[in-house]
Amino acid sequence: MSDFPSPEILLQLTINGALGGAMYGVAAVGLSLIFGTMRLIFLAQGAIIILAAYLVRALFYGAGLDPFLGLPVIVAGGGIVGWLIYQTLFRKPAGMEDRNISLLVAVGLMFLIQNLMTVTWGGNTAAIVTGYTAKGIGLFGIRTSFTRSLGFLIALVGTGLVMLFLKRTLIGKAVRAASEDMISATLLGISPHRVNAIAFAIGIALAGAAGVAVATTFPFNPFAGFIFSLKALVALALGGIGNVAGALAGGIILGLIEAYVQYFISGGWTNAIAYGVFLLVLMFKPEGLFSRPYKKA
Amino acid sequence: MPRKRSAQLAAIGIVAALALVPFLPGATDSYGFSFLFFVFIYAILAQGWNLVAGYAGQISLGQHAFFGLGAYTTVILWSDNYLWGSLYDSHPLIYYFDPLTMFLSGLSAALAAMLIGFPLLSKLQGDYFALGTLGFGEIVKVLFINGGDFTGGAFGVVAPASAFDTLRPHYWVGLGLTVATAVAISCLTRSRWGLALTAVRDDEMAASANGVNILLVKVLAFAGSAFIAGIAGSLYSYYIFHVGPDAIFSLDWMLLPLMMTVVGGTGTVLGPVIGAALMYAVFDFARIAVPEYHPVISGLTIILVMLFLPRGLVRIDLGRLQFRALRSAGARR
Amino acid sequence: MTDLAVAYGDVQALWNVSLHVDAGKIVTIVGANGAGKSTLLRTISGIVPARSGRIAFAGESLLGRRAEEIARLGIAHIPEGRGLFRQMTVRENLELGAFQPRARPQMKRSLERAYALFPRLKERIDQKAGSLSGGEQQMLAIARATMSDPQILMLDEPSLGLSPLVVQSMFALISTLHEQGVTILLVEQNIHQALKIADYAFVLNTGEMVMQGAGADLLADPQIQKAYMGVLE
Repeated sequence: MSDFPSPEILLQLTINGALGGAMYGVAAVGLSLIFGTMRLIFLAQGAIIILAAYLVRALFYGAGLDPFLGLPVIVAGGGIVGWLIYQTLFRKPAGMEDRNISLLVAVGLMFLIQNLMTVTWGGNTAAIVTGYTAKGIGLFGIRTSFTRSLGFLIALVGTGLVMLFLKRTLIGKAVRAASEDMISATLLGISPHRVNAIAFAIGIALAGAAGVAVATTFPFNPFAGFIFSLKALVALALGGIGNVAGALAGGIILGLIEAYVQYFISGGWTNAIAYGVFLLVLMFKPEGLFSRPYKKA
Repeated sequence: MPRKRSAQLAAIGIVAALALVPFLPGATDSYGFSFLFFVFIYAILAQGWNLVAGYAGQISLGQHAFFGLGAYTTVILWSDNYLWGSLYDSHPLIYYFDPLTMFLSGLSAALAAMLIGFPLLSKLQGDYFALGTLGFGEIVKVLFINGGDFTGGAFGVVAPASAFDTLRPHYWVGLGLTVATAVAISCLTRSRWGLALTAVRDDEMAASANGVNILLVKVLAFAGSAFIAGIAGSLYSYYIFHVGPDAIFSLDWMLLPLMMTVVGGTGTVLGPVIGAALMYAVFDFARIAVPEYHPVISGLTIILVMLFLPRGLVRIDLGRLQFRALRSAGARR
Repeated sequence: MTDLAVAYGDVQALWNVSLHVDAGKIVTIVGANGAGKSTLLRTISGIVPARSGRIAFAGESLLGRRAEEIARLGIAHIPEGRGLFRQMTVRENLELGAFQPRARPQMKRSLERAYALFPRLKERIDQKAGSLSGGEQQMLAIARATMSDPQILMLDEPSLGLSPLVVQSMFALISTLHEQGVTILLVEQNIHQALKIADYAFVLNTGEMVMQGAGADLLADPQIQKAYMGVLE
């Protein structure tokens, strides 16, 4: 056994891990909303995030639009696109009894987007370099990436806004109600299609935000989408379905696990360990690490 | 039932015709030959998925792991460094489509399925199980990459070079396996086991109330589909000789057969076969016709099929027939 | 004037059931378990599609309409099991009761009205609905249904799982609501109470309508007494 690493290194790992994990968290929040209302595991989320990253990059190199300045545009665009995706692709399957159909449409969408990206931008890794991407800032005495910190901030603010929406607005409450019991919500006059579409709009808007964070933080390629989706799912499982703050926390925890495993074991094992944790949580604590087991009243 | 007899005769005729194809002049060099070979591989994989998803109702997203396991088992068994490598030098033809090896490949996959299936299926339902298999698939991939010398690491394992100069034996074995799996599924669904399967799929509570051991049925179906996937992997490894983790565990090996089964019709015997033939034709055609865009076709196809033909091709006729029968019954009243 | 007329045949659960509800009345549907009473309500509210027949409400047909549309027409359905959002607070449940666009502007007033009718709910306003007792949950369900100022209130087995004393006060509540002008369609297993407050009643048996008449008449009917009351003793 080598020397135990210094506190600085541990702190560095913790901070970097947490910051990076927030991106999974944001993706997971979107997944949580879509799963809550439609009981659909939206596997295309990761691909959409990478697509957003590519678009951010294209806007930057093509139109000189700074990624973070373009954030509102991407998020708003994401919301609209999400709404449209629901209306065109998922509206009909949502009404069908066989839920596998919507799953397969999501898989098809994932394929489609992934291949569109490959075809448009090539299969090689891409990245964005701006005046500040290499910059570091001091955080708790550790130097860490500036863009990664911004990404974390975006994740925090995004999740906070979604939570506000769900808790304070009537439509948000309707979304929560529909996630808990769609039929009873329908009996109150809440339209399932509307709620589903809203969940999608928010989910894709969040994906856009995550895309900005990803684009400015590390290099990406078209095939990273699926892995991202999987990790977002891990984050979702850790946090507990239906728990928005938990989804973000789950992402952060995943980021921490990855950082530590990468350092202490090896980079090749990070994914396996992450999925292993995923399987364990799914099997033994499906309600997530934070919720108490559902009480049947 | 005359309709059924003629359908069976037609099927036998098609199989016989296909079996004779390799004897046509120039056939073995033609593009269509390897095309058919790949259709067979996909058809076998699709049939395997059909078993666990279409008949037992458990959506598994980890078939690629079993495919890879089968392929690795075959090449590892025969590769230079290991078990039977020395046998190969003296009896090269034994290597080929050695039933024992193929069986072992399927078996290793089936064992893995049982190992992971019991815990997963006893605790996870539906979507969660699908997720679990997805995660499992990724874990297997990483395990093989990090398997050191035994699995050849990121590079993989190389099998002995081909003793044949054409693909004919591969073709026939592929055809044979496709027919065998279809027949096996067909017999299974008519048997008591088949009833248990669909009972578990359609109504678990009723099934267990009738004394069906749900967990066992699910795990066996899962293992069965893994076995089939493993054999497909073994067959494929005879074609490709070099089995590396990234290629053999690629998600395509899971998603494409899944798509093909759904397009053809889950829960039917011919669905996977027809789906495989059709979809592979579409993809390959797209690859030739629109080379830059062809990968996009696969995603687009799933979406379109799901939106407009969710029950699959094989069922279109059935639907119309049923409709007609209902109409005439109503008229009689 | 609200008037509900249902006539349909359904291969699975209901056969040629016909009933009508006149405005401002309490109509009860009684029958043994599995008689199809819940299915009837679910078909009216749109959760279950009807195979054939007619369902009309205030002159409009309900057949083939989506459940949320039907709800917005003023038909409030409290399903079996109450359909509360257990993870959400009492206040949130009530607010959602007034989700419909036409009810939303009145939300404040509707809340005040609910508090007046159900003072115990006001005490528990910020508690999670799942933490309430059975009787309180039923009250919440009814209160939530009144938030949208419905034309007709359909209750499915409201007395289920409640102690006799609570059942008494609940039926008193239903009477009160009726006096305030709400039309009520009640499905109940507790035949005695149900027939007592009913203006008119229908008896359902394995999916078919076997008897109908004024509440008091049916209550006194020897056949009913033998078939159902004996069981309840």
